[in-house]
Amino acid sequence: MIQRKMSLVLDKVSKRFGDFTAVDELSLEIPEGSICGFLGQNGAGKTTAIRMIMSILYPDEGRIEVLGESDALRVKDRLGYLPEEKGLYKKMKAAEILSYFGRLKGMKRHDAKDKSRSLLERYGLKDFADSRCEALSKGMGQKVQILAALIHEPELVILDEPFSGLDPVNVEVVREIILDMKRDGRTVIFSTHVMEQAEQICDSIMLIHHGKKILDGSLSEIKGGDSSGIRLDYDGDGEVLHSLKGVSRLNDAGKSAEIFLEDGVDPQSILEALVGRIRIRRFDLREPSLHEIFVRAVGADSNE
Amino acid sequence: MNKGLLVALREYLENLRTKTFWIGILLFPLILVLSIGVPRLLSDAKDVRRFAVLDRSDWGVLEKIETRAAFPDMRKLLQRALAAKESGDEDFSAYPAAIRATAQDLATEFQRNDTSARDRDKALGALSEMFVALADLDAAQFRAMLPPKMADEIEKYQKRAQEIRQWYRDLDPDEAETYGRGLARGRYQRVDTGAKNEEELQDQLNKGEIFAYFVIDENIVDSSDGNLYVSKNTTDDGLREWFSGHARAVVEKKRFAKKKIDPVVVAAIKAPVVFNANSVDSDGAAVVRTQQTVTRDYAPVAFVYVLWIAVFTISQMLLTNTIEEKSNRIIEVLLSSISPIQLMFGKIAGIAATGLTVVLSWVLFLFIALKFVLPALDMEPPFDLTFILQDKIYLASFVAYFLMGYLLYAALLVGIGSVCNSLKEAQNLMTPVTLVLMIPLFAMFPIVQDPNGTLARVLSYVPPLTPFVMMNRAAGPPSVNDYIFTTILLVASIVIALWAAAKIFRVGILMTGKPPRLREILRWLRSPVGSVTAKNRD
Repeated sequence: MIQRKMSLVLDKVSKRFGDFTAVDELSLEIPEGSICGFLGQNGAGKTTAIRMIMSILYPDEGRIEVLGESDALRVKDRLGYLPEEKGLYKKMKAAEILSYFGRLKGMKRHDAKDKSRSLLERYGLKDFADSRCEALSKGMGQKVQILAALIHEPELVILDEPFSGLDPVNVEVVREIILDMKRDGRTVIFSTHVMEQAEQICDSIMLIHHGKKILDGSLSEIKGGDSSGIRLDYDGDGEVLHSLKGVSRLNDAGKSAEIFLEDGVDPQSILEALVGRIRIRRFDLREPSLHEIFVRAVGADSNE
Repeated sequence: MNKGLLVALREYLENLRTKTFWIGILLFPLILVLSIGVPRLLSDAKDVRRFAVLDRSDWGVLEKIETRAAFPDMRKLLQRALAAKESGDEDFSAYPAAIRATAQDLATEFQRNDTSARDRDKALGALSEMFVALADLDAAQFRAMLPPKMADEIEKYQKRAQEIRQWYRDLDPDEAETYGRGLARGRYQRVDTGAKNEEELQDQLNKGEIFAYFVIDENIVDSSDGNLYVSKNTTDDGLREWFSGHARAVVEKKRFAKKKIDPVVVAAIKAPVVFNANSVDSDGAAVVRTQQTVTRDYAPVAFVYVLWIAVFTISQMLLTNTIEEKSNRIIEVLLSSISPIQLMFGKIAGIAATGLTVVLSWVLFLFIALKFVLPALDMEPPFDLTFILQDKIYLASFVAYFLMGYLLYAALLVGIGSVCNSLKEAQNLMTPVTLVLMIPLFAMFPIVQDPNGTLARVLSYVPPLTPFVMMNRAAGPPSVNDYIFTTILLVASIVIALWAAAKIFRVGILMTGKPPRLREILRWLRSPVGSVTAKNRD
């Protein structure tokens, strides 16, 4: 393997709040220029991990290296951060607040001003540049905050739940912002509990559950390691799916389902069993979704 | 630009956009204007009081009372005519010829002799009194006694006096107002209703033709039992007091005459006994106490009050601001760009700048009001504060104590603000601070009366009280040692308080949930930075 420079290294990092262990011996390496997703349910420890990376909290044990430094505070002008708790100064105008954050990161007044305008224009907020933040919708406000995290062209951007609360159109815009950053050679880390979002854009992912890393690696590595399953779209009574033979796991979502088979079972027999009992719109064989991987990993963990 | 300054600048600019800021700026002048303007408007709005008098005495007492009551007005009119003459005001031509001629004489005389303000005042008083007396004097009588030349001169003045009296008698209340404010003629007017007895007067009172009527008893010299004042308005006592004041002077004179007591003897007996208040300055020289030194002694009270309001409101502003910052959830982003210490100092500086702007604007308003508005309204300031504005050390110490007081309380309140999630929570923690802040207010008058007493000295060594108490003692003045040691103590407390506030701020600002206990906060203070975190759940 080629030795790549790492933007972020976590080495057996732990954090406890009293008796509660929020992060438990977490280790991770994220190479420069990649997009990494932190996946996990609510309360899994994603935000605590991110706060430790940003030196807002300090780990009880372990070592963190951000852009080659042991403390993020020393490289803070090269970092961009969108916290989980999002807010803006209500009375400030969108363009003003962007350039304020840019200047706090050490930008010159003029550069920050020009950059804030061009960013707002590029991501469809041109008409709102002079609106006060209290007049922006939630989605617009969130986009402004994401732009605030990257106005100073940081090398490493950490976004905590950037997609939460956005409509599909805005999700698309945020995804584009993240992909643009990757194209510019920046490293992006973001956390989410929605698997599909990570699946679409991440180079690598890390799965956290109860503060522990369940698995990490590139998407292809993770997916390749698991057996493939059947993706089924259907209309009708899904009850019949539960009575199928030779099925190891079933994720039924009502109109679509993922079916995983026991070893040696022919998918053809499943199709035969279903024909005539429900209306099949799609039936294909594919690698497992992240959701399946997540459910399997967490399920296995909780069985230990 | 330094990032802390950037935070301060943003705070400042944002505060300029809030309504509270402008209300704060405008409130003071508004109060100033209201406290000057409203009483004036109210007095202007009062109707002219028309009254009747039933005189049962047989020695023309009513006539004498009226003559006497005219004297203060006469003096004011002369004074105003003189001022108009000297300043070349057009209003001068509006005065009757007799007043103009007298004012002209006075102006010439005063100018030639370069008369002092005090002597001018005396001369005006004497002259107007003389006018009142001259009008009644029998010309034939003094002609018989005096050399013709002197008698001519006196008669000239008597003519003027009679002219003025006639003019004054016919002066309509509304017209009187055009000669300036505060003339009794503009407020009270006796009307001759032709009533012969009390029943008729009562009837006129009921019909609203008159505001009130007086009955002068025939025996007024010996007893007041038969005197009456009847009005439907029982709250406004101005007319009764005005009339009875002048009546008393007239009756007293009559009583003296009856007992054959010489008016000169009376004047000698009635001369007031006064102790002239002097003081001794540090060189042992006697200092005459004047209005100015009295003002100087009591000025600290006003300054302590302004200082108190400024420190209290501005640090309160900081508290609210810190809590808002916590609740608008922007703190984490800020902390990814700047250190908590930079953020805290930026906030303290930004709010200080806001507060100073407000306080300076107040000083400016006060200055404008004293210098331009009051003179324009023909009003005297309640006391002369201009000499304080010239005392550089006094003003500098005010600003210095303001800054030090603010820093100390800012440190306390920013610490409190950072551990609270709502103003309500903060109110509980504020209670001890508020109680401490009440002490300088209660101690204000005892301290100003004994600026170097034990109470004053002890309190000035309590750092949270030092700025107020030392300001309060300024007239003393405190010894140099007191100044040095209290300042050292205060500065040391500020440094410690800011250090503690920074540590609490560092942890508290990211904290959610209920405020920590005091014990927990003490633990934060003891631990090195970064090793403690509040118990937030992720």
